[in-house]
Amino acid sequence: MSDLLTLYGKAFNSRLLVGTALYPSPAIMRESVQASASEIITLSLRRQNPAQQQDNRFWDYIRESGCQLLPNTAGCKSPREAVELAKMSQEIFQTDWLKLEVIGDDYNLQPDPFGLVEAARELIQLGFKVLPYCTDDLVLCRKLLDVGCEVLMPWGAPIGTGQGLLNKYNLQTLRERLSDVPLIIDAGIGAPSQAAEALEMGFDAVLLNTAIAKAQDPVLMANAFKLAVESGRAAFNAGLMLRRQTASPSTPTLDMPFWQQAESILQD
Amino acid sequence: MTSETKAKVAIAGGGLLGRLLAWRLCQRELDITLFEAGDLSAPVGGACWAAAGMISPLSELVHSDKQVYNLGLKSLELWPEWARQLKEQSGQDVEYRRAGSVLVAHGKDRSELLQFLRELQGKLGESAREQVQPLDSNTLAKLEPSLHGFEQGLYLRGEADINNHRLLPGLLSVLHRGAVSLREHSKVNCEAGYISVNSEREEFDCVIDCRGLGAKGQIEGLRGVRGEVMVVESREVVLQRPVRLLHPRYKLYAVPRSDGRTVIGATEIESEDQSPISVRSSMELSSALYSLNPAFAEARIVETRVNCRPATMDNMPYIHSEDGLIRVNGLYRHGYLLAPAVVEQVESQVAQQLLQVV
Repeated sequence: MSDLLTLYGKAFNSRLLVGTALYPSPAIMRESVQASASEIITLSLRRQNPAQQQDNRFWDYIRESGCQLLPNTAGCKSPREAVELAKMSQEIFQTDWLKLEVIGDDYNLQPDPFGLVEAARELIQLGFKVLPYCTDDLVLCRKLLDVGCEVLMPWGAPIGTGQGLLNKYNLQTLRERLSDVPLIIDAGIGAPSQAAEALEMGFDAVLLNTAIAKAQDPVLMANAFKLAVESGRAAFNAGLMLRRQTASPSTPTLDMPFWQQAESILQD
Repeated sequence: MTSETKAKVAIAGGGLLGRLLAWRLCQRELDITLFEAGDLSAPVGGACWAAAGMISPLSELVHSDKQVYNLGLKSLELWPEWARQLKEQSGQDVEYRRAGSVLVAHGKDRSELLQFLRELQGKLGESAREQVQPLDSNTLAKLEPSLHGFEQGLYLRGEADINNHRLLPGLLSVLHRGAVSLREHSKVNCEAGYISVNSEREEFDCVIDCRGLGAKGQIEGLRGVRGEVMVVESREVVLQRPVRLLHPRYKLYAVPRSDGRTVIGATEIESEDQSPISVRSSMELSSALYSLNPAFAEARIVETRVNCRPATMDNMPYIHSEDGLIRVNGLYRHGYLLAPAVVEQVESQVAQQLLQVV
């Protein structure tokens, strides 16, 4: 059964997107990307001197992965800054895909919802395929769709915290209300179980970096996330059972009347 | 052996590796020529001059391979004796200091210290605990009275550092006195048994290529990783030993020198850009320094340095040996940590090769 992730008209097998920062070495980064089976990888142009980019061995190395590159605007604090960096990234990486970040708070790197919508509008007019990193606010997400985003990337928790899905109520609301929009949980995922949970909830994919790159064995952790994402997606497709208050034995105990069964459970 | 029969060894690159190799090898019966594309006198080009000279196998282990740690331990064994010999031969103290190093994190980042310990334990097992001493505000105040407002830290007793701005000129003065032929402003090409300067090809019994990024194109995957460093001078704040600040986003080390200056660094950017330090980097380094002690606000920025560390794609040191040619490279951010151990390996490979020649 094919179960593809389609983003801006392009289909992908993998539902795990990974970052390329913080690895112990480029070689381990590449091996981890392979182990994760990701087909989309993010990378940052920030802190680079655009005048000196003819010869960057590290980026060549990333390009050789054959993955869809998703340049980001990490660290940008204003729409202006983000748009300029996006244009530079487009030129250098030869792609119109963009993970849009406009940061509103320096300490927890929380997205600035107002700046984000403004930057997204402008970039979409310029022809970018914008994947905005946003909070889990329904109204913000709607506004981003209104300006033309086809994919949204709400956070699970602030970047690098590994806290998992902090506000499941909001996330569930997003999933239910925006049922036709590809939603990717971006940031805050620390453990494979959290990634699995996001997929079980019906999110289309997860994007993460730190949890793999800073693991003691990044390659092994990349594989763990690959399995978790596959597992979570399969569970979602299979249809999770509903939680019940009382236990229900898969084999009924015929020798006991049902009211006594209920009692014996209550006494446990 | 008479001078006519002395084996000829060429060393390409007058950075840390080139100098150490020339110094070590000139103590054997060899005819050594050291080629350098720029100047050998200070300020020296290349990563070795920009560095802070830390010899810290434990601090580095969290983001490097265990092999780097093991080589670092070997270097820690070798440095004291080498520093002593250099002082004897050059009359200059290279300020090798084994006073350990201190790691601190601010209150809300205290999980960084825990994470550091956990990663060390993951790589070294329980022996990690023996090498790391936890510090509370009292013990920290005794060890580093100038740190301000920290409640906890870690003391890595075994770590050391060396003043590279003493070491590199010291090595040069010893080479001047020794029988090493020094050829500056000589951009070379290295082949097995040959060195070419411009279009002239000279024959050698063994060529050692340690040109760092100068060897780009000859070593698969060799790249530069930009690093920015600031040097500040403060009368108020005096650190006793290298101090590292752990923070989720910024990394800072501060290495005090005997002249009252403190070297702070270092950024790590995947780029071979050699342009001056950026405003962002200088702000990050300054504010991290300020957070060690607000009195650093009145320190004077006396120098900034930018250079690119030569690294391979696995960030591991690169040693390649074939008949007549040895290439050594990719010491990355671990120059002073790895150099003695790597130089010893190269020395034995040179000896092996020359045995076959003679």
